[in-house]
Formats: sequence, C-alpha cells, structure tokens
Amino acid sequence: MAVTINHDKCIYCGACVATCPYLALRLREVYVEVYPDKCVDCGLCVKACPMGCITLPKK
Amino acid sequence: MSSEILGFPGIKDEYDIIIVGAGPAGALAAREAAKKGASVLVLDRRKELGAPVRCGEGLGAKYPEKFGIKLSPGAISAHINGARVIAPNLKDDIIIRTPETKGFVLDRKVFDKDLAKDAARAGASIFSKAEVYDLIQEGGKVKGVKVNFDGGKREVRSKIVIAADGAESVIARLAGMKDGVSTLYDTDYGMEYEMANVKLEENGKDFSDLIELFFGREWAPRGYTWIFPKGKDVANVGVGIGGLEAPNAIHYLHKFLADPRMKYRLGNASIIATKGGAIPVCQPLKEFVKDGFMVTGTAAHQVDPIHGGGIGLALNAGRLAGIVAGECALENKVDAASLDRYKKIWYEEEWGKFGKRLALRKVLEKMNDDDFNSILSTINDKDIDLVLEGKFAPVVQKVLVKRPQLLKVLTVLVNL
Repeated sequence: MAVTINHDKCIYCGACVATCPYLALRLREVYVEVYPDKCVDCGLCVKACPMGCITLPKK
Repeated sequence: MSSEILGFPGIKDEYDIIIVGAGPAGALAAREAAKKGASVLVLDRRKELGAPVRCGEGLGAKYPEKFGIKLSPGAISAHINGARVIAPNLKDDIIIRTPETKGFVLDRKVFDKDLAKDAARAGASIFSKAEVYDLIQEGGKVKGVKVNFDGGKREVRSKIVIAADGAESVIARLAGMKDGVSTLYDTDYGMEYEMANVKLEENGKDFSDLIELFFGREWAPRGYTWIFPKGKDVANVGVGIGGLEAPNAIHYLHKFLADPRMKYRLGNASIIATKGGAIPVCQPLKEFVKDGFMVTGTAAHQVDPIHGGGIGLALNAGRLAGIVAGECALENKVDAASLDRYKKIWYEEEWGKFGKRLALRKVLEKMNDDDFNSILSTINDKDIDLVLEGKFAPVVQKVLVKRPQLLKVLTVLVNL
C-alpha cells in the first residue's frame, strides 16, 4: 500500500518530500511521485501537507 | 558518452564540482567556485529556474551588496522599510523601522535567474530540466551524480558534489546524512497566496512599505501569518504553522482571509499564485560535509529559526561552500576534513546570531496568545530592535514586570 495524493489539489510544493523519512516521495517537474515500494503508510506526509491533499490507504 | 543538443555543448563526463539545485545557495556556490578557477556544473530539476516560487520572497537590505549581487529592477517587487507585528487580537501592533528591518520583497523568478546568470558569467555551466535522481558513491565517498537529462539517464563524475536542493534535502539523504529529513516537530509548513487588489492601508495608516506579521495560535499555531507587499495593491499573504499542528496551513490561511476584521483589506483580493512548502526551523545539520560532498542552504537547514527566512542565509552559506569547494578541488584535497573548513567559517560568521535566535524560538514556542497580547501591549519598537540584535536582558526585565508568570520561560534568554 501507499499514500494517495490528490493531484487536482496538490501544488507540488515538496513539503511531503522533505518530511518522508523513507524517500518514498520525490518532487518531479509538475507532480509529486510516490514510490509504493518505499512507502510504509506512516502518515507523516499527511500531517505535513499544507494543502491537506494526501490520504492514507483505507484499512 | 556526451550529451549534445544539435551540436550545442552538452554536459561533459567530468567536472571538478557538481552542484545540485540552482536556487540562491547553489547559484552563489557556483559563482564562487567558478571564480576560483574550478570547472563547475549546476543541475536543476526544474524547467525554469526560480519557478515555481515557494517562498515569501523577503530579503534583508544588507545582503545583496554584502555578497556582490546586483539586483536588477525586475528582481525587486517592493522596498521594505520596516515590520509591523500584530497581536493575536488583530488590534495591538508595533511598527519597527530599523536597519535590521529594511529590505526587499523579491520576485524570485527574476532574482534566481539573475544569480544564475552571474554564475554562468563566472564560468559555471548550468542546465535546467536536469534531474539528479541519485549519487555515484564508491566506498562511502561521493564521486558524482546520476542525472536524467535530455530524455536519457547518464552519470557525471566530479571531485565534489554540493547539495543545494532546498527543503527536500533529498541529495543529502542519498549521501547518508540522516538528519537531512525534516521532522514534523522541527519544521513549519507554509501556504501562501500571491494576491492582487489587496489594500495595504487601513484607517489612514499606510502599510505598503512594511512586512506584516500576525501572531497567535488562532491564526498560526507555532508560526505566524504574513502579508508581504509586492506592489501598490499586490502582496504575498501566507501562513506557516508548526508541523504537529492540525489540520493544515491552508485551513488557517482561509480562516484568516475569511475573518471579518480582514474584510476591508483582503475581502476583494484575487489569488494570482498559490505557493507552499516545508520550512526547517531547527538546528542546522550536524555535519555539512563528508568525503567529496557538501550540503548548503535550506538543504542544510540553514534557515532563520525566528522568521523562517532562508534566502540571506542561503546566499552566504552557498558562497562559503563555493569558495571552500573551489579551493579544495584545485588542491585535490576533497576529503571531509579539508571540506569541513566550510562548516568552521559558517559557524564563525553565522552562529552568534543563529544560536541566539534558536534559543528565542524555543522560548516563543512556549508562549500562549495571552502572553503575546500582554507582551505586545508592553514593549515598543526599540525593544524589538534590541531583541533582533540579540540583546534580550532589558526587554525580558520589562516584560516580567507586567507578566511575572513568564519568569521561568524567559530566564534562559538572560543567561545567553
């Protein structure tokens, strides 16, 4: 599993990237890329996101 | 293999120094290293340097001249003569007009390009849309970068790699510097609208040459809300909150914009840009260098712990990193011990002020809105100037007369 980014809301500011301890998020030119193999669903990026556009997978 | 764009000289296979990120830190590092005579490559992920802007764009007046930067007219959006600090009640305020509060609100899209042009003129080779996705590391030493450029992936080797990739600090973490990650506690998260048709005055008072800082848990828990003018009726309106605060920055920004007391000034404004980002407001990284590798600017958490501004510190840190890198590359001494001269000089030049501000931040974090309201109705502009200069004792004394319950919290500042 991995977090989901609402790309309609995301402003690709990189706040989630700065906060992810696992380098599971990387800032690309016009979007944030999630690497599902690295994401551990810790939820730190969800708290960090200034736009509130990241969600954890439904349990 | 060498990348060629229809015969245009592309990225070579090897350089003395590769710099990742062409923001203020990266550009100054490139300029200084190139001036020393080193061959310098600068790689930036973005297709346009300076964009997207993720910043309040404020810069102190002293910096450009100090670091030999000529601001082109387009790089300055507004000249600032002071700061207005507003209490949580949105009523009490203090206006400070001192040399320390003079400055500019920049247009980063122009400013960053100007810095890059200077670096290019000094001899650095700069490429946009060149995304460094990994480092070349051999035996714990950084030996170059892996870059996605012109539709293909390739390796470029260097004696030194300088990470100047901003808040994400991905490159430092790829090099194994674990504290490059911004923990929620040590980071503020910001959201900002650039707004047009803003009123930079109210009740006959003109705020158009002031940066305005609104404090209080209600508006920005563990941070502040700001209005930075960018012209007669244009401003960056933003908020930064502590990482552990809920729900998020945009919630607080919208709450501020919707407050009836801000209706006159912001009620008819339009949003012409949306920006955001993480702001590390903690200690700088423990180490700035390792073998063949340096970190500088916001990537090294060299950000003002009080106002979260990073441009001024990035300019100097990048400059120092560039000078040391240039010298070390030419002497072929790129081990951590040699490169560490950069950290030593940085501490000599910046730590006196930085360390005090870090302590002040810890104190401010412990205060509630009643404390802020009380303090701002007690102290005056000269007191704030003393605080900005790091002279806390007389101001602490004044505050304690009015608010003795802060004794324990404030004592630490007197003992600095």
